[in-house]
Amino acid sequence: MSAATVAGAGARLRDAADSWRRVRAIARRHAYVLRRSPHRLFDVTIWPLVDVLLFGSLGVFVAHHGGTKSIAFAYLLSGIVLWHVVYQSQIALSTGLLEETWSRNLLNLMVTPMSELEYVLGVVLFGMVKLAMGVGVVVLTALAFYAFNASSMGWEVLPVAAVLLTVGWVIALFVIGIVLRFGSGAEALAWGILFIVLPLSGVFYPVQALPGVLRPIALALPTTHAFVAGRALLVHRGLEWGQLGIAAACTLVLLVASVVFVVAMLSLFRRRGYITRYS
Amino acid sequence: MKQFRGHRAVAGVDLEVRAGERVALLGPNGAGKTTTLFMLLGVVTPDAGTVDLVGQRLPKGRNRALAKVGFAAGYLPLAERLRVREFLRMYADLYGVRDPDAAIGRALERFGIPHLAPVLGTELSSGQRTLVGIVKATLHRPQLLVLDEPTASLDPEVALRVRLGLMELSQADGTALLVTSHDMAEVQRLCERVVFLSHGVVVADGPPAEVSARFGRTGLEDVFLHLAERQREPEGRPS
Repeated sequence: MSAATVAGAGARLRDAADSWRRVRAIARRHAYVLRRSPHRLFDVTIWPLVDVLLFGSLGVFVAHHGGTKSIAFAYLLSGIVLWHVVYQSQIALSTGLLEETWSRNLLNLMVTPMSELEYVLGVVLFGMVKLAMGVGVVVLTALAFYAFNASSMGWEVLPVAAVLLTVGWVIALFVIGIVLRFGSGAEALAWGILFIVLPLSGVFYPVQALPGVLRPIALALPTTHAFVAGRALLVHRGLEWGQLGIAAACTLVLLVASVVFVVAMLSLFRRRGYITRYS
Repeated sequence: MKQFRGHRAVAGVDLEVRAGERVALLGPNGAGKTTTLFMLLGVVTPDAGTVDLVGQRLPKGRNRALAKVGFAAGYLPLAERLRVREFLRMYADLYGVRDPDAAIGRALERFGIPHLAPVLGTELSSGQRTLVGIVKATLHRPQLLVLDEPTASLDPEVALRVRLGLMELSQADGTALLVTSHDMAEVQRLCERVVFLSHGVVVADGPPAEVSARFGRTGLEDVFLHLAERQREPEGRPS
């Protein structure tokens, strides 16, 4: 091995180590923010708790009056557990950027050697902690109040959750792109967009329950197929690989589209000098 | 060159800052100073022209270049909910500083604010925030330090401390300074070269005394006022 090759490998290792330090620095910065702003724990504690109480109690009520406890009840609770994977991953990433705009830290960050990818990875890294907290609260509340054991879905739920996790990031990237383009006024989308995706994805019911005109839209969403695959686990049909495959393929397409969109919006952000909105 | 919605913010700025040089970019509001700095830092993309920053052509070499550049602005707050030490540690990591704790200690000492290390960003005065911002920008001993209105909110004693710290940095590390300011007295003390912008073009470039003489004025303040008056006139009208 020549000295040049060794030097090149050494430089690449140093670059990788520097890159990891930047990712970690961003994750740590968001950890401080969460620790020092108790109200920001709302998303990962109170909101999941309220969701489980709402849909769990609804499930109990429907079961008592309709006599279909096993299905309605399990659909609602498994739905809310899996929905929180999308919700938490989406909120963590999109509010990560919003945090920088609220504290006018965006300009400071943009003049560092950090790449956009490193920034996203840092927020995602901390977002995984928030995801674990939020989904943990949902799972424990469902178990404690309604004796619903999420682990009854089996290990096959993991690939379903992985797809939903990615969908959350995809939605967040679209939200970030829109905020870059239209400014902080568009930040309501960080929360609002999920309330469009939620009913269309058949989180709590099969897609046939939707009005006919909306079904094609629902079927085009990866979340719809992921939730179908998740529900199949509840009735012990095993993992529906076909549905999961469609969900994964759609997610991949949307992931590419969201990255292209964010890159285009960032380029526009720089061309039009939108940084002055935050400086 | 840069236009925003048909308005020409920077028409043509040809500017070279040499290693260790202390340069002030001056001009009335709307002259194009901040836009020029933002283009230099890769935050705003020029419509035409090129930017070479510490040997890297932007935008391709932006991240490599920015590792050797520091930036602070008097108008920027600190990231909320971070203590000064945490804020500086974050930027030390972002800039790849090898021994962050030592670098933070040194930089805080240089500007006389080691006592602020444990304080929350929200508890600082605006002058203290500015100082911490400058410390942040110098942690990685940059080749070029870009400062936008660094002394705008500082009292004379703190402004003096900043000036001495910057001069020490420039002399010890050979750091070049590019500073915008409306405080002409401060500029005259800190910088060896001034570049005046008006209507987005360079109208004067040289040592402060020489520039003043070229406009037939007694000091930079007079030159500034003269250009500010000209800035209010419709673009293109001969002065």
